[in-house]
Amino acid sequence: MVFRCAVHNMKLLTHNMLTSKCMKGVTVGYPLGIVAKDIKVSETEFNSEFVSRIIPKLDWNALWKAADSIGHSGDLPQQLMEDYENNEEFLKKVHHVLLEVEIINGELVCPESGRKFPISQGIPNMLLNEDEL
Amino acid sequence: MTGFATRKVVRKVKKLTSMLHRESGIECCEEPTKYLFIGNAGLTTGLQRECLVPHFTKYGIVDDVVMIPVPTVENKDWHNGPPGSVVLENFVNETEEEILLHCIDWGTSDSGQHLKHRRVIHYGYEFQYHNNNINKDEPLKDKIPEECSVLFDRLKQMGYITSCPDQLTINQYLPGQGIPPHIDTHSACEGTILSLSLGSSVIMEFKHRDGQSMSLLLPQRSMLIMSGEARYAWSHGITPRKTDIMPCPGGGLSVQNRGVRTSFTFRWTRKDKCICSYHLECDSYNEKESSEQNDAGATELEKLHVHKVYEDIAEHFSETRHKPWPNVLDFVQSFPKGSVLVDVGCGNGKYFGQNKDIYEIGCDSSWNLSSLCKDRGFQVFTCNCLALPLRNDSADACISIAVIHHLANENRRLKAVQEIVRVLRQEGMALIYVWAKNQEYNNKKSSYLKQNWHNRKSKCNKTNAHEPPVVNAEEEKSQTEKYSKFSESSSFSLPLHTNRTQFLHKDVLVPWKLKPQSQKLQTAEVRTFYRYYHVFEKQELEDLCLREKNVELVKSFYDQGNWCVIIKKK
Repeated sequence: MVFRCAVHNMKLLTHNMLTSKCMKGVTVGYPLGIVAKDIKVSETEFNSEFVSRIIPKLDWNALWKAADSIGHSGDLPQQLMEDYENNEEFLKKVHHVLLEVEIINGELVCPESGRKFPISQGIPNMLLNEDEL
Repeated sequence: MTGFATRKVVRKVKKLTSMLHRESGIECCEEPTKYLFIGNAGLTTGLQRECLVPHFTKYGIVDDVVMIPVPTVENKDWHNGPPGSVVLENFVNETEEEILLHCIDWGTSDSGQHLKHRRVIHYGYEFQYHNNNINKDEPLKDKIPEECSVLFDRLKQMGYITSCPDQLTINQYLPGQGIPPHIDTHSACEGTILSLSLGSSVIMEFKHRDGQSMSLLLPQRSMLIMSGEARYAWSHGITPRKTDIMPCPGGGLSVQNRGVRTSFTFRWTRKDKCICSYHLECDSYNEKESSEQNDAGATELEKLHVHKVYEDIAEHFSETRHKPWPNVLDFVQSFPKGSVLVDVGCGNGKYFGQNKDIYEIGCDSSWNLSSLCKDRGFQVFTCNCLALPLRNDSADACISIAVIHHLANENRRLKAVQEIVRVLRQEGMALIYVWAKNQEYNNKKSSYLKQNWHNRKSKCNKTNAHEPPVVNAEEEKSQTEKYSKFSESSSFSLPLHTNRTQFLHKDVLVPWKLKPQSQKLQTAEVRTFYRYYHVFEKQELEDLCLREKNVELVKSFYDQGNWCVIIKKK
């Protein structure tokens, strides 16, 4: 992806893939809750084909919930519409939520255990302690 | 002489006389005395004593020629080698020497070959220089020539041997050629190795891992016997040069030109495991010993010798990550728009940014490296590769370059592969690179090895992924393999690898010398860090991946000292 600014923090597309299922005692561990202390909204180059190809790989619900929980869902629909490939308007909204909303500092929270994974300087720390493996 | 020339000469004379005074206390004066100092001419410039004497006797009687001792050759004893070494002078006469040299058929023998540095031929079994081991599985058609039996009879008579060797390697060295220091792999052959020197004398260099070195004169037609400690614990080698500094029969030192030396090295192939007491250099012993750390041990070992080290060396390490490898680039660039690529053990994100159409996420256990990756504009998070916090079936592509060889037992290496496969989407593909035990393949040395030997002194811009550029060539030269235990609470008895040489063991600690400027410490000392590696044998990575049930092997290859696979999730 071509990004205009040099540095990027955790994007919601990345968040969509993260889970705490690898932890001992956690069955699902998804989606991770977000506690956002610092958010940044950046501008990145839009590519409709890219977005439409990414959409089927997403957990749409998790994406919407994550965006909503940090107040950046905009008017992104809670349900994924059909025939989105040709809907430029829609794709742009998805693009914005996926790639232009970034968490600089905050936490990711395991929905089952409540375990918090810090995000500092845009980097989530998912390293587990020995007893969590 | 012009004015300029005289000034130059005067300057040079001044420099030499002050050096003489500094090194020996001898003062030069303007008036002639009966002592004449010849400067800028000595052993290292190749001036031979034999040249000097006739040159000056024209002018008067030469009482004596005295060489000012050079610190490195002072107090050297060329007549004694390490314990267990014996040189039998005049072992064969000139006629026998001729016969032996003539029995070699360089052209038509089974395994005659022309190595870059010297000519080599094997009889009985092939001795493989890439790992200093004997290929016992494929005995050669040609056995040791009959002409050699006189040597064995003689040695038996003298009481040095009781049976005949079954392996012979003949090396022919032209002046300027040599052989790098090595220890013949313990499990390859028995405790006695013989070396007959024909055609020319040479100085052989022995080194012990604790730093001791010895130079041993091997006169022409002498038989060297290496046994016990000399065979098991000292490396032997011949410096590639055209002359040797040698003791003169009458005393003093001289420079001898080398002639063409042909060595006959006889070995007894070993049928069983080595049971010597020189454990540190013993592959049989270490194979047994470094069998599998349990998980607790492995965790501790990786914590100390992988995770902590990368945190400490992150900046310097990142600086030395240069050109991405072509095969990895090809793989990354083969994925279509909208693909998701995960780099497990991404380091500073070396392989990101090469395909503008895909979404790349990196993860690494090192915060410092991840930070550098993020600063370069990429998505990254920290985690352990044994527990990837990623959803099942979420990645189209995965790469893991030079990562799983840092895992300290087989179960963990398998787990890392399983995690990668779990994260891959169906039909998704992964590329895995691990360091190979064999750094020379198809007779080509890896770029890691090529930095050794002649290339050391030249500036190396190309750096192998696992190596820092040479900090100080001289310093590296004197580095010998050392052994030490780490941490009182654990007992990691692992051999220390010598950089830019072949691997002798499968589980090793590899040094990384940290550049002083990059250090956060105040001292200017060069700190050495040790990273744990399990180096892979041929097939090993393939077999590991195929243990995971829904894996299909797409491609398997060797790339610059690494074993590599591309696998697909079925």
